[in-house]
Amino acid sequence: MSETCCGPGYASPAEAMKAPREKLLYTIAIYTGTGIQKPDYLATIDNDPESPTYSQVISRCEVPGIGDELHHMGWNACSSCFDDSSMSRKYLLVPGVRSSNIHIIDCATDPRNPTLHKVIEGSEIKSKTNLSAPHTIHCLGSEIIISMLGDAQGNAPGGYLHLDKDFNIVGRWENSMGDIPFGYDFWYQPRHNVMASSEWAAPNTFMPGFDLEEVGHLKYGRRIHLWDFEKREPMKTFYLGEDGLIPLEVRFHHDPDSTHGFCGAALSANIIHWWKDDEGEWQWEKIIDVENEPHPDWPIPVPGVISVILLSMDDKYLYLCNWLHGDIRQYDISDPHNPKLTGQVWMGGLLGKAPEVNGVKVTGGPQMIQLSLDGKRLYVTTSLFSTWDNQFYPEIRTNGGCMLMVNCDTENGGMEIDPDFLVDFGKEPNGPSRCHETRYPGGDCTSDIWL
Amino acid sequence: MSMHSITLRNRDNTTYQVDAKKPLLESLRAQGVDLPYGCKYGGCITCAAKLIEGDVNQKAQVALNNRQINEGYVILCVARPVADCTFDIGVESHDRLYRNPFLDPLKPHELKADIASPAEDPVK
Repeated sequence: MSETCCGPGYASPAEAMKAPREKLLYTIAIYTGTGIQKPDYLATIDNDPESPTYSQVISRCEVPGIGDELHHMGWNACSSCFDDSSMSRKYLLVPGVRSSNIHIIDCATDPRNPTLHKVIEGSEIKSKTNLSAPHTIHCLGSEIIISMLGDAQGNAPGGYLHLDKDFNIVGRWENSMGDIPFGYDFWYQPRHNVMASSEWAAPNTFMPGFDLEEVGHLKYGRRIHLWDFEKREPMKTFYLGEDGLIPLEVRFHHDPDSTHGFCGAALSANIIHWWKDDEGEWQWEKIIDVENEPHPDWPIPVPGVISVILLSMDDKYLYLCNWLHGDIRQYDISDPHNPKLTGQVWMGGLLGKAPEVNGVKVTGGPQMIQLSLDGKRLYVTTSLFSTWDNQFYPEIRTNGGCMLMVNCDTENGGMEIDPDFLVDFGKEPNGPSRCHETRYPGGDCTSDIWL
Repeated sequence: MSMHSITLRNRDNTTYQVDAKKPLLESLRAQGVDLPYGCKYGGCITCAAKLIEGDVNQKAQVALNNRQINEGYVILCVARPVADCTFDIGVESHDRLYRNPFLDPLKPHELKADIASPAEDPVK
C-alpha cells in the first residue's frame, strides 16, 4: 500500500470487510405525518455490546424545520476518495424529501453526538436547479450527486443535483435525462463507465400516498436505465413491464470490475438482474419472484412489496425485505443467474407471522436494512414513508417504528433475529417516531463505491 | 383587504380572521396555530385539513384525489378561503384521508383530477 494513502474508506471491498465492528449506528427518525409537531432527527444508537447503553438512542440531532420527512442519507466521502488524503468521511447529508432541505450533519467531531453543520435550503435548490424531492446520495470522488425526484413543482422526472465538496450547489449533474420518465435510486460502476437508475414516481404522485389505480395509469415506474457515466446521459433502457412495477433500490456488485447489478421491483415483488454479456451487450432477467400471499380479509392476495435490497460486501448474498408480508430473505447469489434462498426471518407485516419480536409489537414490516461490513449483522427498521405507513399500518402513529438486528451466517447461509437488540422508537421522549435508513461512521454496504 | 373568519372546530372552536388572498396555512401559522405541513406547494398532503363548512379555492393543489376532495379535505398550504370556513385540523382530521389501496380501491371518477373519468350518471 502506498504511503500517500489514505483518504476515507478502504482500498477494496475485501479490505472493508476487515474493518472493526460498527459501535455506533445513525438512523433517521421522523415525526412528519405522525401528528407530533416536532422536527425529524438523526438518532445515534450505541451499538457496543459491552456498553451499559447498548441498543439505546444516546443522542438526537434535530433538524431546524418541521415536516421535512428525512428519508435516505449519504456520506460526503466514501472509498471512491480512498486515494485522496485531503478528504474524510465526516458529514452525513440528510435530505428532507418533502421540504427539499438538505441537512449537512457533522458526525466526526463527536461521533456520539452529531451536530448540524449547515442546511442547503430547498428554496435555493429549487431556484438554482428547478429540482425538488432529494433521495439517493452518492459521492463521486470529492463531489456529490443526489437524485432529485421532481422539478420545483413536484413533477417528474426531476434530475440530479451536483454539489461540490464544500456543499455548494454546482448545478444539474446530468447533461440529459433522455426519455426517462421518473427517477429514484442510482448507483455507478466507474470501471465500466456505467450508472444505473430506477423509477418510483413523480413526488406529486407518491408523496400524498399510494393510489393503486395510478399504476395502471402509468404514473409509477417500470424501467431501469443505464447511463454513460462520463457523458452524463442515459444510453439504454430496460423496459421491465409487469415484471418490474415500481423498481426501487439499485445495487451494483461492490467488486468494481463486475458488471452485475440488481434491483427490487416493489409492487411486482421481483428481483431484476442485469449484466454485460460476452458480446458486450447489456442484458436483464428476472431472478426472484416473490409469490403473493392469501390474507383472510383481503379480496386479492397480498403482494410482498419489496421495499429494499442490499448486497453483502463480498457480493455473495442478496437481502430483500417484503414490507407487506413481513419477511427478510437472504439469497446466495454466487451465481447471479441462479439465486438460492438460504435464510428467512419474520417481523411484523400483514400476514401475522411474527406480530411481536423481542417483547415489542412490530408495527409495519421489515423495510430499510443495513449490513455490517463483515456481513454478519443486519439492522432492520420498519417505516417506509409517512403517508404510505399511514395507509398500510395506521397503528404506527401510536406505536412508532423499531430497529432490530439479524445475525447472518456468512459461511453456510441463514439468519436469526438477535434476542438482545431492540430499539423501540415508540418510546422516544417526544412521542412515537419512525425510523428509516441506517448508516455507520466507518461506511457500510450501501455507501462505498470503488473507482 | 377582503377577510374571512376561520373556525377550528377541534381546537375549541377558536376563530381567526384571515386574508382571502393568502394561503390558509400561512395565515393561520402567522397567528400561532401549530399546523403540520411539508412541501408548501400543494403536492404532499401533509397539511390536509377537513372542511366542515364554507368554501375554499384550492385549484393549485395536486395531492388529493377526487374521493378525498369529496370527503372535504383541503390542502391548507395553497387553499384560499372564499367564504367563512370551519375546519377540523391536524392528523385527528385524517380519519378518511388514508385508506388501504388494495382493500378499498378508487372508482374511476374518484381518481386525481388529471386521470379521473366523469362520474357515472346515477339514474342511468
